[in-house]
Amino acid sequence: MLLLARPPKAWHRLFQLQPLALLGTPGGKTQHVRCQLFSTPGPADTGRQGQPQGPGLRTRLLVTALVGAGLGGAWLALRAEKERGRQQQRTEALRQAAVGQGDFSLLDHRGQVRCKADFRGQWVLLYFGFTHCPDICPDELEKLVQVVRQLEAEPSLPPVQPLFITVDPERDTVAAMARYVQDFHPRLLGLTGSAEQIAQVSRSYRVYYSAGPKDEDQDYIVDHSIAIYLLSPDGLFTDYYSRARSAEQITDSVRRHMAAFRSVLR
Amino acid sequence: MAAPSMKERQACWGARDEYWKCLDENTEDASKCKKLRSSFESSCPQQWIKYFDNRRDYLKFKEKFEAGDFQPSKMTAKS
Repeated sequence: MLLLARPPKAWHRLFQLQPLALLGTPGGKTQHVRCQLFSTPGPADTGRQGQPQGPGLRTRLLVTALVGAGLGGAWLALRAEKERGRQQQRTEALRQAAVGQGDFSLLDHRGQVRCKADFRGQWVLLYFGFTHCPDICPDELEKLVQVVRQLEAEPSLPPVQPLFITVDPERDTVAAMARYVQDFHPRLLGLTGSAEQIAQVSRSYRVYYSAGPKDEDQDYIVDHSIAIYLLSPDGLFTDYYSRARSAEQITDSVRRHMAAFRSVLR
Repeated sequence: MAAPSMKERQACWGARDEYWKCLDENTEDASKCKKLRSSFESSCPQQWIKYFDNRRDYLKFKEKFEAGDFQPSKMTAKS
């Protein structure tokens, strides 16, 4: 488009100058050839036979610059278009993931069935653990609800839904979950289900868990990966926070994600 | 067996902390802290006692390691 806008005179000169570029640096022989080329008839050449260097150089530079600008413009335009295409593909992939991935069908601690779509439109902080956990799960849940409380204190921010999913479906019944979550936060929702359902949701969120050996009391500890997950209102995994992160650090991070959020779902 | 409630958890952690404080003061001499040990054992589920004992071992090891008490063996230095 930019190329077509250039005057035809420049094109004419370009065709004449191209062989010059191929001839290389000035030397006796090439000088001679150059003079010969310039002497071939053309409408713009008649006044220039004796002085090829002066105006020739400036014109050459101008044309090169225009060609360069044209090529550069075309390249930038193509690159921007490619980037737009990539963004569209990514948005589409995210949209599909938001709907399909990480879906679950579990029972909350009041006995109601919950699936991922129920939480669409809300920010979610999610933790996987079990009620018989000695210290890590209570600590992490305490940290999680502290983050929720800190964010609740800011009226301009949307409320965050805290979720606790068990990795010990054998013992963590609806009643056990209800007893457990009440100690942390009134809005903390405990989710449990069958062994298959828990296995499925753990797979979706890449959570490792492994029940240890049972002792005489039939008690056991479940080894599991420890992380607090942040899900966006689109239901997409947005960030995760390890045991090393403090409540303040997590609160800051959630606030930043909230500020930067753009929904891919309409 | 129901999971410990928050109160029970806190009682267990308190007993554990008392016991560990005693061990700290007595350079890991468990015989000096028998009373606190039995109090600890009665406040916590058996699985948790095992877990906390392992945790104590690990924390002590970590302390030693970070203090540089462990030297790489001659074998590994050469290989």
